[in-house]
Amino acid sequence: MNAPIGAGRFIGQRLPRTEDARLLTGRGLFTDDVVLAGMLHVAFVRSPIARGRIVSIDAIAAGGLPGVHAILTASDLAVLRIDMLNFFLAVPDIAIGPLASGRVAYVGDPVAMVIAADRYLAEDAAGLVAVEYAEEIPTVTISDAKRTGADPVHAGTESNEAAAMGDPEDDAIEAVLAAAPHLVSASFTHQRISQSPMEARGVVAARRGGELTVYISCQSPQLVARYLAQAFGLPPANIRVIAKDVGGSFGLKSIPWREEVAVIAAGMLLGCPLKWTEDRLENLTASNHAREQELTLRVGFDAEGRMLACHADYGINNGAYPHGADANIAVMMFLWAAYKMPQFSFLARGWYTNTPGLGAYRGPWAIETQVREVLLDMAARQIGIDPIELRRRNLITKADQPCTTPLGIVLEDITPAECLDKLLEAVDVAAFRAEQAAARAQGRHLGLGVAAYIEPTAGSTGIAVLATDVAQIRIEPTGRVTAILSTHSQGHGTQTTMAQVIAETLGVGFDAVSVFEDDSSRGGFGAGASGSRQAVAGGGAAIRASAILVDKVTRIAAHLLNANPAYVRIEDGMVHVAGVAEMTRSLREIAEIAYGEPDRLPPGMEPGLEAQYRYRPPPITFTSAAHACIVEVDTETGFVSIKRWVCAEDCGVMINPAVVEGQIAGGLAQAIGAVLLEDMAYDANGNPTTATYKDYLLPAISDVPDFEYIHASTRSKAEGGFRGVGEGGAIIGPPTLINAIADALSPFGARCLDTPLTPSRILDLIAGRTSAKRHEAAGPAAEKATMPPPPAPPAAPPSPAKAAVDGLWKMVLATPMGPQEMTGRFETDGETLRGRLDSAQGAQDFQGKVSGTHLKWEMKVTKPVSITLKYDIQIDGDKLTGKVKMGFFGTAKVTGVRA
Amino acid sequence: MSEHHIAVTINGRLHQATVEGRQVLGDFLRVTAGLTGLHLGCEHGVCGACTIIVDGKAVRACLMLAAQADGTSITTVEGLAAPDGTLHPVQQALRDAHGLQCGFCTPGIVMTLAALMQAPAPATEETLLAAMSGHICRCTGYQGIRRAIRALTARPPGEPA
Amino acid sequence: MKPAPFDYVAPTTIDAACALLAEAGGGALVLAGGQTLMPLLALRMSQPFIVVDINRIDALKGVTRVEGGTRIGPVTRQNDIITDTILAEALPGLVTATQHVGHHQTRDRGTVGGSIAFGEPAAELPAAAVALGATIEARSIRGTRRIAADALYLGPYATALEPDELVTAIHFPDWPAGTITLFREVARRPGDFALVGLIGAFAVTGGRIARVGIAWFGMGPTPIRARQAEAALRGQPAAGLDARGVAALAVADTAPFDDHHATAEYRRTVGERIFSRALAEASVLF
Repeated sequence: MNAPIGAGRFIGQRLPRTEDARLLTGRGLFTDDVVLAGMLHVAFVRSPIARGRIVSIDAIAAGGLPGVHAILTASDLAVLRIDMLNFFLAVPDIAIGPLASGRVAYVGDPVAMVIAADRYLAEDAAGLVAVEYAEEIPTVTISDAKRTGADPVHAGTESNEAAAMGDPEDDAIEAVLAAAPHLVSASFTHQRISQSPMEARGVVAARRGGELTVYISCQSPQLVARYLAQAFGLPPANIRVIAKDVGGSFGLKSIPWREEVAVIAAGMLLGCPLKWTEDRLENLTASNHAREQELTLRVGFDAEGRMLACHADYGINNGAYPHGADANIAVMMFLWAAYKMPQFSFLARGWYTNTPGLGAYRGPWAIETQVREVLLDMAARQIGIDPIELRRRNLITKADQPCTTPLGIVLEDITPAECLDKLLEAVDVAAFRAEQAAARAQGRHLGLGVAAYIEPTAGSTGIAVLATDVAQIRIEPTGRVTAILSTHSQGHGTQTTMAQVIAETLGVGFDAVSVFEDDSSRGGFGAGASGSRQAVAGGGAAIRASAILVDKVTRIAAHLLNANPAYVRIEDGMVHVAGVAEMTRSLREIAEIAYGEPDRLPPGMEPGLEAQYRYRPPPITFTSAAHACIVEVDTETGFVSIKRWVCAEDCGVMINPAVVEGQIAGGLAQAIGAVLLEDMAYDANGNPTTATYKDYLLPAISDVPDFEYIHASTRSKAEGGFRGVGEGGAIIGPPTLINAIADALSPFGARCLDTPLTPSRILDLIAGRTSAKRHEAAGPAAEKATMPPPPAPPAAPPSPAKAAVDGLWKMVLATPMGPQEMTGRFETDGETLRGRLDSAQGAQDFQGKVSGTHLKWEMKVTKPVSITLKYDIQIDGDKLTGKVKMGFFGTAKVTGVRA
Repeated sequence: MSEHHIAVTINGRLHQATVEGRQVLGDFLRVTAGLTGLHLGCEHGVCGACTIIVDGKAVRACLMLAAQADGTSITTVEGLAAPDGTLHPVQQALRDAHGLQCGFCTPGIVMTLAALMQAPAPATEETLLAAMSGHICRCTGYQGIRRAIRALTARPPGEPA
Repeated sequence: MKPAPFDYVAPTTIDAACALLAEAGGGALVLAGGQTLMPLLALRMSQPFIVVDINRIDALKGVTRVEGGTRIGPVTRQNDIITDTILAEALPGLVTATQHVGHHQTRDRGTVGGSIAFGEPAAELPAAAVALGATIEARSIRGTRRIAADALYLGPYATALEPDELVTAIHFPDWPAGTITLFREVARRPGDFALVGLIGAFAVTGGRIARVGIAWFGMGPTPIRARQAEAALRGQPAAGLDARGVAALAVADTAPFDDHHATAEYRRTVGERIFSRALAEASVLF
């Protein structure tokens, strides 16, 4: 290996980006820029109601318009037998089709697709498709979903509960909370967010030359190719997915969803190239959304402000068709991970509603940091301790590590306390407090907010599609370097950063390296941009693959020059032998020999200079940070202006600090949007009320201050020492800003529980008024309280019956990673139960207890992590229901039928 | 539906075409003229990605009809850099300052800044920042854009970087 | 988001435009700057049969001094209002209001007449026309008439203009030298429509408020003239004004509503505060 990484010629340098030259001159290639001969255009006919039955679809008038080629509905696409998949590439536990089949489940639900000569004509015809609906009362909010148990969003389900983990209450924790000297409780809500990449979704699909070519705006062409292969049951080799430039994604485009799949399906059926470019109206109202969560925390502190225990109650609106039915286990896993929280219990539930489905958004679990850090400030006020001191007493420091959190996460090198120290070197809190007091005396309200967090990045365990990344690197016969990586940029700049890593490791010039990541047929599988992983996983793969080439070049050069390999070095594209200048050869000369004169290579060596390495990073690589922000709140108008923002971030070794800071800043801007501006709102009938950018407000330049950065740069255990940094700003930004606002408003006793903190809401807080949102939440609930309660579950059959239990059962376990199918074999012997569970992960025997038709057993598993599963099953006729306690993953539902 | 013969000078070259009355200028430039550097980000005049220069003024290509462009002179982002590839000062400043990430909104920002840099009234940091209120960037948090604006206005406009 | 089909016509004379509007019998829409109409067309919220583009009618452009006032052609671009030397002197309040309309890029194309004729209740220029006592000259093949700005607005986006009428000029009367104009706007972001805004002109002669015009925007279904406050101020000594009392009266004429961006209560509260403060700040200049 060449010079140590971390202080390199390229690693750590603020190089201008390779991508920028084409993007600045209008020569990028985004999906809508692709034009194919004979290409037709798609427009969707979408549901104007949130819930109902499709009575009829009349497309006769629309089909007669000149230029209209076809109008397709769900029944037309059904011949392809498409299996839509979730984010984990598993089949969801509710039926999801590309187009609405029989029923519509949200405003914007695609009911039919028009294929026409251009988009204008397609929209003309879409407007003429007459759809008759039998409208039903929709389920819009989480509280709607909880109470309409008798009439769930999805037929064939018993309730709107999409996923659940944990327990309502834990007696031991309740006892600690009841006895705690200080109990701090609060319920928080987070509004729905539109990811709003500036390029909305889009796809061009064509079946040509024996393959299905798909240009698509996505986060990974590899992942899309794998998704399509599985969804359509095609060999992957027959699918080629291309995504050159992508105009942002932020989680939205992590998998192809209903419209993209419909367009690809229609292209296969019609045999001609099709294009669909999502317009902004569609993107805001019919694409997947994010957030819309509520979280209630109860935290007990001792007299000195040390935490004793916590219970969390969490709910998330999954919409109708989420990317993954989810109760968001990550929220609970990381809620207290950076803090010394001795005991913790939770109940986390996700709910189906008649709104667009939940998708990922930068820091999908971010609410944990938001709620924790805001609650800590509330606790500091309630207990009478400085909020920074309260954090110091509870944060896990270097001295506390290694340690394991109550939910089983091993911590070895997190640095939030150290980041906080560095932050406070830059932010003079005492001086600010003096300034704040002076300003208050003049009727001006300044506030300081501080927050700390850790962020799991580049996780390689638990989610199979995210486990590994691959680098395929060649030193070409010309001496230039071609790298084909499973990373992908939607603005991340990986063509630049990965070239920096490769140039550094190989010892070649930055300009000598060309990075390709845009075509699934060029390289191997990887999930691209997901989970703040590219620097760690992609960078690690790039280093390892480069190192293989360095080794090979060294051995070839040593052989050719009859030199000791230990003295061979590659620098700036030249191969040197230490101390013997005349032995210097260019990399090109070595490469020409490696490819063209194999007889001159060491005996038995494979010709060429081509290497591949598939890298699995450590299970989790943590990034830590502490941020501070200073605001002024205009108490006359309720407007917040951000005066200063300082970030102290530890993302390990930085490949390109300008790119790192760009990622942090982008996340922070989105955080500012979420706290002050953005709100994807729905009325009681499930109609979106923010359908354009006139109403869905994204942060403008005047909303975002200049950020100051302090980089701590503690090497991680991953190859290269990198840590992920893609999502952090969006995670730590909200509480930093909310705490600053709450500090400014502390003379009014305001508690900032609901976002966005619009000027209107801030004046409500100052006036001590309940916000309109909370009013609404309370109103309809009271009104509908008169509805009959859901029917009680049928009583268990009275007598135990071996015949009722024994035999083969087809079971489905609703895990956080998607439903897992199993086959169970039960055999009872008095009160003893023996059995065997068979799944894709393998088979395992178990022994437990049976009482009538009530079965209980425990079994240990080691994948994805080592946990004990506790099954509790009730059999009722040919059906089986129950739950499994899965250690820190909480509780999952089990359902089954007799096989 | 009416059709119109139009003649438009785009990036110094005369384009003639027949367009439908309803065709939006942004679609004409992207689809008919093939200038895909112009991006349609919202099609309702808010995001600014489609900003181009029409007769010296920065305007939204999504808020004009193609027929209205008859007889005008238009500059798009493709027409700014020198033929030898040398970037326009605005493009160079944005590149130096890491003023873009995904690059989708960037062409519009480039055109607004370029229009103001060549306007008769001297561009100041204040005027450029004020004009940036007409652009949405979802990636960068505007940090590099602001740095680029400061660099552009730190020296007299028109002078090479 | 592509417009539905329509016929596009671009007459070069006012007579031709009026003839087209008459012939269309209500099926036509006038396209001026297009900064509001084009989104409505793209969203298919507006589906006219004919779009009459008035951008090629030179007679509709420019700012001229006329007897007792200033005549502004409706197709004068908003950015041209901001840099106009006549207006800088005659109507500085209109210039300030126009600086708050949309963004630089939309003002390069957006027109004064388009904004005034569209009647967005939260827009700056309709309120400016009402406060400053403008009259709108409208022509059709039936003739020409003048409509006082405060009689133009009937409801959100609803005006007294007939479908066959074309706005051919906006006349702003002169205000005495030394008139103070107040402009305040509270918007979520620069360039957004107002949550609440006001424009007020105060002509003080001999220590008394001789002439006053105040209009709110974002405070109801139309721009709203603060008639009670105007009546209370007219003829009063400019010194020692009860700014809070006047502001409370001014808000009494408004009818704000709740929407996604703010509550009616917010608009009333903040309206009263910004007016009271602006009046107190301005009164030192009277």
